[in-house]
Order: sequence, then C-alpha cells, then structure tokens
Amino acid sequence: MNERISRLMDGEIDASELDVVCSALKGDDALLTWTCYHTIGDALRGESAVTRSVRAAVSTQLATEPTVLAPRVPNVSRAASWAWAAAASIAAVAVVGWTAYSLIDATPAGFAKAGEAGTMRAAQIRPLTVPADYLLAHQEYAPANALQSVGPYMRDFAASSPLRPAVAE
Amino acid sequence: MQRAFRRSPIVTGRLAPAVFLLALVATGAHAMDAATWLMRASQAARQLDYVGTIVYQIGPRVESSRITHLYDGGREFAKLVNLDGPAREVVRSEGEVRCYYPDAKLVRVEPATFRNVFPSLSAEQQQSLTRYYEFRVLGEDRVGGRPVQVVVFEPKDGLRYGHRFWSDGSTGLLLKARVLNERGDGVEQFAFSDLTINARIDPSMVAPSWPVVPPDWQVLETASADVVARDTGWVVTRVPPGFAKIMEGFRKLRGRRDRIAHLVFSDGLVSVSVFIEPIVAASTPAGFLQKGGLNVYSVRQDDHLITVMGETPGATVRQIAHSVSHR
Repeated sequence: MNERISRLMDGEIDASELDVVCSALKGDDALLTWTCYHTIGDALRGESAVTRSVRAAVSTQLATEPTVLAPRVPNVSRAASWAWAAAASIAAVAVVGWTAYSLIDATPAGFAKAGEAGTMRAAQIRPLTVPADYLLAHQEYAPANALQSVGPYMRDFAASSPLRPAVAE
Repeated sequence: MQRAFRRSPIVTGRLAPAVFLLALVATGAHAMDAATWLMRASQAARQLDYVGTIVYQIGPRVESSRITHLYDGGREFAKLVNLDGPAREVVRSEGEVRCYYPDAKLVRVEPATFRNVFPSLSAEQQQSLTRYYEFRVLGEDRVGGRPVQVVVFEPKDGLRYGHRFWSDGSTGLLLKARVLNERGDGVEQFAFSDLTINARIDPSMVAPSWPVVPPDWQVLETASADVVARDTGWVVTRVPPGFAKIMEGFRKLRGRRDRIAHLVFSDGLVSVSVFIEPIVAASTPAGFLQKGGLNVYSVRQDDHLITVMGETPGATVRQIAHSVSHR
C-alpha cells in the first residue's frame, strides 16, 4: 500500500487502483503514511510552513476525526516536483531521515510507517540525481530555450536545492 | 448516387492537382510563418538590450527573477538574479555560463550553452513544425504593460505539448510563454511583469556579484572537450514522427567514472535527450519524474540505465525509453 500511496502522490497511479487507495486512506495507517510522505516532501522543498500546519493538523485532528484529514491538507504540492528538488544525495537522505523522525515524535503511532517511508523515499530518490545533472546537458539542445536568453536556468532556480546534492555527490 | 459515385474519380482527378497545390501553398505559408516567428523571437532575445522582472511558474511554485541582457558588438551578456529564496545568480558572458550559489558556496561553470537553433532551422525542421503542430496567430494582448502578439503551436497528436507564446509587438521579444499539457492546462509558464527594451545597460550591470570566487567556494567546471560527438552504438526505434536526431555523442559528467552516451532528438520546437550510462550501484531503481513541462523517465536495461528527458508528455519519454537498444 505504501508504494501505491507513493505513486498516487507522484501522479503515476492507474485509474483502476485509485478507488482502492482512496478507500485505504480512510484508515489510520495509510493516512499516516500519506501525511508522512507529504511532510518529507515539504521538508525537501523547504516548505516548512506547510509541514508545520500538517503536523499541527495531525496532532489535533488525529484524535477526533482522522478520516477527514487527508482530503483537507491544504496546499500540498505535487510530489513529483519535490522529488526533483530533492535530487538525491546523502544530504537529501539525511533530510528524509530527520523529517521522518520529527514526525515520529509528533505521532507515536506513525513510528513504523515513518521509518519505512524514509527508507523507501531515500531509495527512490537516488536515481533522480541523474536527471538533475542531466538537465543542464539537455537544455543546451532544447530549441525553445533559444527564445530566452538565460531563461532556462529558471528551472534550476525553481528547484529548491538543486546544488547541494551535486556537491555531496 | 450511382452516377455521382461513378463521376467522382473524374472530379477528383481534375481537382486533385489544384487541391494539392493549395495544400502545398498553405503548408508553405504556415511553415514560413512559424519559422519566421521563431527566428524573430530568438534573434530578439539575443540581440536586444533589456532589463526586466520575470515571473516563473512551475507546477504550484511561483518565483521571480531579475534579468539584464546586453548585446555588445556581436557579443551577448546576461545576468539572471532570483528574487525569492536563497540569492543565486546566473551570468552569461562570452562562451560560458556561470551559476553562483552562495548558499551552497558553489559556482558552476558551463561552456557556451544552448545553441541558438532557430536562426538555422533546416527545411525538414520547418516541415515537421507545421506537420505536427498547428501554428496559429491568436491576436493581440498585453504583457508587462506592452502590446503583444499571441501565437500558439497546437500539437496534432498526443505526443507533444502545446506552446503558447506572447511576443513583443515591435521587437518580437518573447514576453510570456506557457506550456500546455494534454488537457490544455498550463504546466509551466514564464512572463515579464515589467520590462524595458533598448535600455541603457552598463557592462557592470551584467557582471557577477562575485568577480573573484571566494576561496572557500567550490568551482564545478564542465569543459566543452568533455562532449565528443560520435556514433554511440545505441539506437532508438520509437521516436515520435517528426523528431530527428540532432546530436549523438559521449559526454563526461561530474562524479561519473564512465562516459555517458547522449542522443538528442528534436521536432523543431522541443527536444528529447536520451542518456545511457552503465549501472554502477546495484540499487539503481527506475522512475518517472515531471517538472513543469519537462518529463523524465528512467529505466534499467540489463547493466545500463536509460534516462529520457524532454519537453514532451510523460508517455512520450516513456515510449522512447523503452525503445532504446544497443546495436
């Protein structure tokens, strides 16, 4: 199920699986995984404000009505963009680990899930270093880039931490 | 009915040349329009002096940057400074682009980057532009306080994204651009919120804020000699129609022991890169990634990792990735 939730966040889930995952998200376990993944994503994107609100929401709402939490999480950005921003590295993995454990403190019930999520994400992030490094090589040849002078580099800026991973590498 | 049916071949036969000629003329005119439009915009981007603020949107993110551009005696200088988040800048001077990341204490030096391909669009590329995109002039609008002409490249198949461009009425400079996905939703956009064209740009305005790299910073350099154009031995069979190979070679990337095969395909408007590298680490999973109008798909093939990256829908890069093989 964790893998399905991950794919749901990445927008890669098949329509046929959607119902199953959404039903599962009504349960505590899946919901925690979902929240945990988003917290990790927020941290990697440097959007800690969102993270805090999620954590606060987890603390307060989990006790009362956990099932309504997931659909109401505000401003959750698409997972794919943070995966890019993470661009894999020891640094990113460290962030994953740190965030996962912060969440654990907030919600003891999510301990196992959070740990799992951290490991899983770290493993998935690793190949994405490659695109981060390939991006500059690719954009040399993107014709539409000729329409803007240094415009293509805005993509580089838009990733929240595109450089540290390259250093760590 | 029967008579009409019998007669139709004659009619078709008579009209065919005229219809064919008309179609040819129409295609030719459009090809000229699309190519002329692209060349004008790319020339304006290179040869004008301008300073302005660019608002860039990718997915849910919105970021602003300040751009200063100077064309001096055939040489191009530009400086891009981001206004949100950690201060970073990109400085383009003769033959190189330097990216400064003070937050990471790092400078990245790239050789003469993206080729200005539009001034030299081949006849084939012009043909594929009009064959696989519907180029239309949508009319007039206003961007950054300036009157603009709006044009659109609408894909004729599901293998490409749509592109809408707003160009300055008097100079042709691109003032706004939007990438539209399969559902017609904008996935990536940039727009000038203010702009001064033909501004007086002093060379100091396009100089880096760090003329000397601080001693504790790291400098990452890519030498142009690191790219060698040659036959890589890799073939890609399922490239969408209209995409032609524009580059093939090996490149050396930082932190990689092995050279990486790099093939680039373009339909005249966008390009798709295919990277092939030997897998070193045992746990190199494949994956899919979307970043605005850019999609990336990685797949393992025996002891190689194939990564396809391009300004096309995810299904397109995926299809291409699964059609790579070694001769």
